[in-house]
Amino acid sequence: MNGITLSRLPLSAKVFCSLFLLGIGLGNLAALTQAATAVGLSPRDVQASLAPDAPMTHLGHGQMSAEREINLAEVAATAKVWIRTPLLIQTSHTHLFGQTLIAGLLGLIFLFCSLGDGKKTAIVALPFLGTVLDIGGMWLTRFVWPPLASLVLAGGALFALGYALITTISLYELWLRKEARP
Amino acid sequence: MSGPRSRTLAVVIALLLFAGPAAAHITPPVLLASDREVLTSSLAGARKFFVREVRLSDAERESLRRQVGWKPDEDFYRFYLGRNDAGALVAATVFLSEFTIHGPVRVAVSLGPDGRVKDASVVELTEETYPWVKPLIDQNFTQRYVGQDSRGQFALGPRPGDAGLEGMTQFYGQVVASLIQRGAALYDVAFGKRAAGAGGTARPRG
Repeated sequence: MNGITLSRLPLSAKVFCSLFLLGIGLGNLAALTQAATAVGLSPRDVQASLAPDAPMTHLGHGQMSAEREINLAEVAATAKVWIRTPLLIQTSHTHLFGQTLIAGLLGLIFLFCSLGDGKKTAIVALPFLGTVLDIGGMWLTRFVWPPLASLVLAGGALFALGYALITTISLYELWLRKEARP
Repeated sequence: MSGPRSRTLAVVIALLLFAGPAAAHITPPVLLASDREVLTSSLAGARKFFVREVRLSDAERESLRRQVGWKPDEDFYRFYLGRNDAGALVAATVFLSEFTIHGPVRVAVSLGPDGRVKDASVVELTEETYPWVKPLIDQNFTQRYVGQDSRGQFALGPRPGDAGLEGMTQFYGQVVASLIQRGAALYDVAFGKRAAGAGGTARPRG
């Protein structure tokens, strides 16, 4: 961009960009571990944590109470993170800021790679779109239709795809790409 | 390092990191017990188990607001009931949460047929709140409220040492105590007053 490319950066800038990209990658691994242990990584797990609690009885609309016999085996034996609306609000605001900031800094580095502008545009947009899909999917799962929990995973995957492409291409250009001699 | 080897290494690193955020992100929770674990303990002695789901009327919500300063906002509340062979209520357990700026606090409250607290425990916190609440959990402080009904004293102190607790610990102690009181008040409204209104006893057999 404007004659500046990743491969032409001074060593200090290359080290800075590389360590930032790797640091974000380690953060991603930590996020994956945390999500896997706290919520789970299948659409069913995400749906169970985000969807509104459904009655265990036949409590109908307008009915004041209902009761039925159960076996304790019907009750969850594993501790479950149930993301209710106040927690969803809290999670949304922290992650929209955090992930958008990460996507912005990733994009800032990536803008200086030597790809054509069309490819660059498509790749740089991925983390932003992933973030919107991820957080938006949480709200849609809770308030519109529980099976939309798949959008949360799709959004996370899109963010990850964007990160992987940006990091791979950027590291390649930072350290391996040879400038063509004039 | 040769070009192909370096490229391979870069691809491996990228693929390793690829899986990172492919999941929901939430504030890290601290889960101290599953619902089944809590019920197995709090409904001990029961031979049969039931779930009763209760929807509150506007008048009942207002009554709770006036009595304990709580505005219930759930569509319905779920009590897990344990009964003996004769069908008499042994205990009823309800899970209630409070959402603070540092994340949710979830408490299990178990009540006897007389509406008095039989047991209570903190079942969910967040990584941020756990260090503040841990000193209280270590003291088993929820047991202080055993035997009280919804009109009891649900506050920290005046026990020795309470005044020396860190401010946030005192705050969350009060949050937990309030949740226990809400459980007792909810039982009163959903079981006691409804049964009395229907011509039954003030404390139903469930």
